[in-house]
Amino acid sequence: MIFELNGVNVIAELTTTVTLLDLLRTDFGLTSVKKGCEQGECGACTVLLDGMPVCSCLVLAPQVEGKRVTTIEGLSENPLMKELRDAFMENGAVQCGFCTPGMLLSSFALLRDNRHPTEDEVKVAIEGNICRCTGYVKIIEAILDAAEKISPD
Amino acid sequence: MRTLTGITLLKTHTLVGALEILSTLDKVQPIAGGTDLIPLIREVESKSTHFIDIYSIKELNGIYEESDSIIIGSTTTHSQLLSSKTVSEKIPALHDACSLIGSIQIRNRGTIGGNLCNASPAADSAPPLLVHDAEVNVSSLSKNQWMPLEEFFKGPKISALKSDELLIGIKVPISGNGCSAFKRIGRRKSFTLSIVNAAAFVERDGDSIKNLRLSIGSVAPTPLRMKKVEKEFIGSKLNHQTLTEIGQACSGQVNPIDDVRGTAEYRRDISSVLIKRALIEAWSRTGGK
Ligand SMILES: Cc1cc2nc3c(=O)[nH]c(=O)nc-3n(C[C@H](O)[C@H](O)[C@H](O)COP(=O)(O)OP(=O)(O)OC[C@H]3O[C@@H](n4cnc5c(N)ncnc54)[C@H](O)[C@@H]3O)c2cc1C
Ligand code: FES
Ligand code: FES
Repeated sequence: MIFELNGVNVIAELTTTVTLLDLLRTDFGLTSVKKGCEQGECGACTVLLDGMPVCSCLVLAPQVEGKRVTTIEGLSENPLMKELRDAFMENGAVQCGFCTPGMLLSSFALLRDNRHPTEDEVKVAIEGNICRCTGYVKIIEAILDAAEKISPD
Repeated sequence: MRTLTGITLLKTHTLVGALEILSTLDKVQPIAGGTDLIPLIREVESKSTHFIDIYSIKELNGIYEESDSIIIGSTTTHSQLLSSKTVSEKIPALHDACSLIGSIQIRNRGTIGGNLCNASPAADSAPPLLVHDAEVNVSSLSKNQWMPLEEFFKGPKISALKSDELLIGIKVPISGNGCSAFKRIGRRKSFTLSIVNAAAFVERDGDSIKNLRLSIGSVAPTPLRMKKVEKEFIGSKLNHQTLTEIGQACSGQVNPIDDVRGTAEYRRDISSVLIKRALIEAWSRTGGK
């Protein structure tokens, strides 16, 4: 099976049926994609599928044939992602970090499509990402901060 | 890495291809967004050995406005429905429901067809579609039929689908100048199955109810239409007293159970509250006070 992973066409040898989450972690070593609940509840496994956040634990690997999969590794040089990363660090929005890759991807998708989100829109965007550590306040502040930096008006 | 035991995923890009596979192979089940199925196959040993991926069949996806109805393909996602102007204007209760389902990740993947075929009594798209008198198209290689959505639900997690059939699409008639609304109560806001959900459709004639359709979910083995109550109150004026009476009449029609998400008594009480809230919202959307 061929699909696009972080901007590069890759081949996956699928001998058995696994989830996209397992494929990314095991075959491609992308351990930023975290395995939490495997029930679609926690969002730690969030990836962008054709640009949209989905839980990779709820996608079967063969279902991404011909599609575009993006993890934070693929956005490391992206200006918007850099802004978000900085804002997360500056605002103390990271504690253990387990939720962070998923949070970054969900907030990236938000700010890509909506440069001036309200606090409520930020909350909706990260509703599917559970954080056990921060209590969300600093994460929300970080996302609003990044939004301000990318369009300062 | 965990292998999903004994599961193979079959792929096809055409509807006919999918129907052929369903009619020839044993133990094959359709998979769309997988948001209901995949957690399930992890928990219990799935009875299916093959899944047929219907997500990539283009014919099954999309929202089409016709002269007297709106057609929704079965693999249309909750996110697609949420961003559709046709849906927010013509089927507002469905727009409400889609905004409350799961999280963005779930809405980007989960489909309206999967929500209905899973046949959960708590499915959030059911009450909105029921009050809009929706019909569903069920097809196999040899048969293609429309049936009222009400007849599609047979019991908890049981639909009218046979093993060789697919839900193709949903038809929502465009009805006069009525409006609808949907309300739900869940453990947290969004992101969990509803404890109770309710939808109301109302057409207004001054301060009187010209047409009324009500539905409540998660209070019986299937989502329910409140036809007896509807009949009783068509023609009445809508005021505090009739609202209270409609709420009471509805809670008399439901047949809830106790479970981890809520007790039967709570469900009965809350169904009256929710149906009133949905009706008030639908009424105000028609411009009524
Ligand atoms: C974290 C989480 C939160 C959720 N929150 C909600 C919520 O708030 N409200 C709610 O109602 N639901 C919720 N759900 C349930 C689920 O997301 C929805 O029911 C979704 O719409 C299912 O669609 P799917 O495409 O993912 O279905 P799938 O999992 O692909 O399929 C579900 C069932 O339908 C069958 N099927 C699917 N499509 C067809 C078809 N066209 N023809 C015949 N059979 C078909 C499958 O064989 C399977 O039995 C949630 C799920 C998760 C994991
Ligand atoms: S691991 Fe996928 S949502 Fe929790
Ligand atoms: S920082 Fe620990 S889970 Fe969010």
